[in-house]
Amino acid sequence: MSLTGALSIGKTALAVSQAQLQVVGNNIANAGNADYTRQTPKVSTSKDQQFSQNVFIGTGVQLDGIQRQIDEALQGRLRASVSDSNGADTEQLWMSRVESVLNELGDQDLSTQMSTFFNSWSNLASKPQDGALRQVVLQNGQTLADGFKDLKSKFEDLRSDVADRLRALTDDADSLADQLGELNRQIVTAEGGSSGQAAGLRDQRDATLKKLSELVDVHSIEQPNGSLNVYIGSEPLVLHGTNRGLTLREDNVNGKINTVVVFADNKGEAKATTGQIGGLTVVRDAIDATTNRLNDLAKNVIFEVNKLHSSGQGTGGLTTTLGTNAVDDPALALNDPVTNLPFKPTSGSFVVHVKEKATGLVTSTLVKIDQDGLNGDDTTSNDLAADLSAVTGVAASIVGGKLKIDAASNAVEFSFSQDTSGTLAALGVNSFFTGDGAFDMNVDKKLQLDPSKLAAAKNGEPTDNQTARAIADLETTVLGALGGSTLKENYESLVNNVAVTAAASKSNAEASHVVQETLFNQREALSGVSMDEEAINLMRQQRAFQGASRLISVVNDLMDQIMGLVR
Amino acid sequence: MAILPTNLARVSNLLRTSVATSSMTKTQRMLLEVQNQLTTGQRINKPSDDPGDGAIIQQLQKTLEKRQGYLDNISSAKNTLSSVDTSLEGLTDLLRQATQIASANVGSDVTADARTSAAALIDNLYNQSISFGNTQFQGTYIYGGDRSDKQPFVTASNGGVKFVGTNNVLQNTFDDNMVRPFMVSGDEVFGTATGTKVGSNNLSPAITTATRLDALGGATAAGVYKGQIKITNGAANATIDLSSADSIGDVITRINAATGTTDVTAAIAPDGMSLALTAGSGAFSVTEVGGASTARDLGIRQNNPVASLDGADVKAKVTPLTLMSSIFGGGGVDASGLAITNGSSTATVTYTGPITVEAFLNQINAADVGVHAQINAAGTGLEIVNLVAGTELRIGENGGNTATQLGIRTMSPTQQLSELNNGKGVRTVPGADITVTRRDGTEFSVDLDGAATIGDVITKINTAAGSTMASFATTGNGIVMTDASVGPDTSFKVAAANFSSAGEDLGLNGLPATAGVITGKDVSPVSIAGVFTNLAKLRDALRTNDQRGITEASQGISEDLERVISVRGVTGARVQELEGREDRITDENLATQSLLSSLQDTDYTTAITQFSTLQSSLQASLRTTNTVANLSLMDFLS
Repeated sequence: MSLTGALSIGKTALAVSQAQLQVVGNNIANAGNADYTRQTPKVSTSKDQQFSQNVFIGTGVQLDGIQRQIDEALQGRLRASVSDSNGADTEQLWMSRVESVLNELGDQDLSTQMSTFFNSWSNLASKPQDGALRQVVLQNGQTLADGFKDLKSKFEDLRSDVADRLRALTDDADSLADQLGELNRQIVTAEGGSSGQAAGLRDQRDATLKKLSELVDVHSIEQPNGSLNVYIGSEPLVLHGTNRGLTLREDNVNGKINTVVVFADNKGEAKATTGQIGGLTVVRDAIDATTNRLNDLAKNVIFEVNKLHSSGQGTGGLTTTLGTNAVDDPALALNDPVTNLPFKPTSGSFVVHVKEKATGLVTSTLVKIDQDGLNGDDTTSNDLAADLSAVTGVAASIVGGKLKIDAASNAVEFSFSQDTSGTLAALGVNSFFTGDGAFDMNVDKKLQLDPSKLAAAKNGEPTDNQTARAIADLETTVLGALGGSTLKENYESLVNNVAVTAAASKSNAEASHVVQETLFNQREALSGVSMDEEAINLMRQQRAFQGASRLISVVNDLMDQIMGLVR
Repeated sequence: MAILPTNLARVSNLLRTSVATSSMTKTQRMLLEVQNQLTTGQRINKPSDDPGDGAIIQQLQKTLEKRQGYLDNISSAKNTLSSVDTSLEGLTDLLRQATQIASANVGSDVTADARTSAAALIDNLYNQSISFGNTQFQGTYIYGGDRSDKQPFVTASNGGVKFVGTNNVLQNTFDDNMVRPFMVSGDEVFGTATGTKVGSNNLSPAITTATRLDALGGATAAGVYKGQIKITNGAANATIDLSSADSIGDVITRINAATGTTDVTAAIAPDGMSLALTAGSGAFSVTEVGGASTARDLGIRQNNPVASLDGADVKAKVTPLTLMSSIFGGGGVDASGLAITNGSSTATVTYTGPITVEAFLNQINAADVGVHAQINAAGTGLEIVNLVAGTELRIGENGGNTATQLGIRTMSPTQQLSELNNGKGVRTVPGADITVTRRDGTEFSVDLDGAATIGDVITKINTAAGSTMASFATTGNGIVMTDASVGPDTSFKVAAANFSSAGEDLGLNGLPATAGVITGKDVSPVSIAGVFTNLAKLRDALRTNDQRGITEASQGISEDLERVISVRGVTGARVQELEGREDRITDENLATQSLLSSLQDTDYTTAITQFSTLQSSLQASLRTTNTVANLSLMDFLS
């Protein structure tokens, strides 16, 4: 061992100190960077040299590597919790929007409009012939119809908002996946062959992956060459440097457009369960379910009110009427699916009454409707028109698929009663509401033009109120079509469903936030930069550097002295 | 709140600041929520704030809305009933006045002039009573029933007052499960219901395939419950779904659709009153499904297997659509027709061809004799209503059997004598009551004591005559005396014996003969007692100085008065019931409102306490953040 040995020791010491200072500096610089993983230098003693027979002497220090203080498993769990909390937040945000559309517990909500509508029929029963009360019933009916349409269109708007947001998020996710692929390549190139780690690039990749987790729940598997394969569910998204790409596919389900997130290469579904995209999918399904329930409710309101109304009579009879619902093929049985009637009649019958205006005498005829599917004799629209025309005083025909019934002369008027088949309501004859659901529900214009046609009576007398009372009771009548619940209960359960889902998503969000913060804090405890710690490291390296410099200076002096011996 | 890891080895700067940030954010968010509660005054703004309470609030709001509807109905009904009460009050006064005038003018010391001026007063009261009948309240004729858009009482062309309203009194709902009428029927008040000839025969129509199940009384007269039935034949069985069946034809079709499995065929029984089921082979049973009563109601429940089953009578009701030919188990009704007389109007109503009951009734109603023919409320037979107060309705045969078959002949051989002459019956004396003089001059007397029916009278006359002299009219109504002897018609007469009024009461005395036939009068008309009839009778009796008439009319008016007072009492009770219910609903509303408020409104004490707690918490975290975040070793390094 010689002085040069000592000098080289000094050299290594200096170099290593400098490197360590750089690491400390790096840590301090990135102290505020949440994505940064604290780095610690790994130093070890250099290999010993043999000085003499039994004496080994050290050669200084070497920098083995710079280690990222990271727990990959913890990172994985953290990313999963990020997905969860983002998904829950998204759900909560959008479900509260759904709730504010319904706006229950207020004064203008749909349940109040329904109560007002049915109450106005009950009031009409006190004085069925009163023109003002009839107008009130018609107005309240229209308000209710408008209420349904309004809710339906607001839900449609929400749905398209969700679709737009989904598009934006999918694009974001796609570009993040691109970045991941790029980073993978860079890391492989940078680390290529060596056992060290390109810490900065890896930090960047982690950050990008975390941003992707916000959008979609992913899990990753590191490959031996340093690249990271990213999977959504069991399908890969990023393989080495390639991004399979994410895009949207529009499926047509029952006339509704469903946007689905798919892989760009094979259009197979990318099943995101949480993350903002997953949350939006859940929300979209909830909106669809609520809209369907609302539509069903509207359909039932329309059909049940119409069934009672079409068997009722106004203060005067009818001289002409045109059904509001058309059949696609009048030669087919009424309840054949091809006829496309929104409501299906069943087997039964109804009575047509023809009244001579001069004498007030009524002649009644029973019209039978056969829809049992047996013996091939089911009633078609043409059959019905023929049966009605066979009644003296009435002429019926099918015009544009709709049933038109006229009084045969000015001397008679006609009315209907006791329809057990629902045919009149299905065809929209003498009905109250028009339309087949929440989006086109209205009060029949004919009634608005002539309120005397509003059917409050059931037995043909001009001021009877039994139909009015039956419609008023409809709100609390148990209906088979609703599976044994009433209209009131049905709507209440719709609102409750939304409320419970919204409340559940709220508590989910809170819970997942707690989990996320806990995991984040755990990560910080391991990978975060503590300025105080770095300050101490700084001091230590400063002293080490100073020591090494002093060593070199002393050795230099000693070498000068030895050189001085040789003149 | 974030949970700090328990194995915290080191604390990074970011850890410190993120904990501070997140707790500040949380506190601020909670502060915002409490602030919202304080400013809106409501703890629950949308159902998701508290889904359990939110659902209850929805229910309570619904209940309040429903009750408002009931209160409106009650208020409207009270108004209507109070106008009824006012008009009944007026009517009561009017009737009292009439009885007073009657009793003042009944003595033998009253002059004819006095009675004439009294008659003029009664005439006034008569017209006033018609006005009372046509009282209007807010555009509705309160006694019109469900035809209240027109005057219910009009003056008939043949004299008298005709009722053209209905007696269907409207009802409405005034609370959960509280349905009450809010009108009074004109019949009840003015006594016009007494003018109904109730058909005495059950018409028992046969069933056809078109007969609707709704029109059946059911084997136990409880209607027909539409459910499912099960037919079991040995090992095979089939469940027949009749829940959507509308007619007998549907039932038969559906049972026969399962014949392949059960080998049982259904059809209408030969007697036309029930269903008949027959098995091709083996023995079958018909049982209920799920505790329903469908098989029993259709008369075909059969728990023990049989080879053929003639079901129980399903008691089909008479409906407007029932065919006349299906009445009496398919035997039909004689088409000869009816002879109807009402006051001065007469009409003959016949029918031909297969017509419905409705068409037949229409013919009667179109005859314009002031009657209304209808099916009775139970759906078992017919009724003919005399609509005109002051005329006498008589329904007789038109040479056939129609009226008797339908049970609506107003005078018949089987009729009790006590019912004749509007219930005054036939007054007999001991010994002979009538003396009959034949054309050939011979006479005989008849003692009518012990006769209970008109048939008995005819028998007694024929026994006394020794030949068939007396019979009952085949056209119209009345006892007919036929004299086979030879002589002038003027000699043939029936006269009173022993001053008995029996002959007159039977409508036989003093009538002229034509071709040897004396046709007795119809002494069993259907007429309306009641306010208008009695007032008219009183007026006419005063005009003709008929003391007995005055007394009878006065009695009738007293009965009317009692009836009107009792109706007024019922109306009063109804108003009280409604008022009581109104008070109760108002009280219940108070309770509901306070429950609603306790659930939905902010509890200000709790909220403000929460607010100040959060406020302190926020201040504390702000302060600590400030202190801790500012400490750093860097400050101390030179």
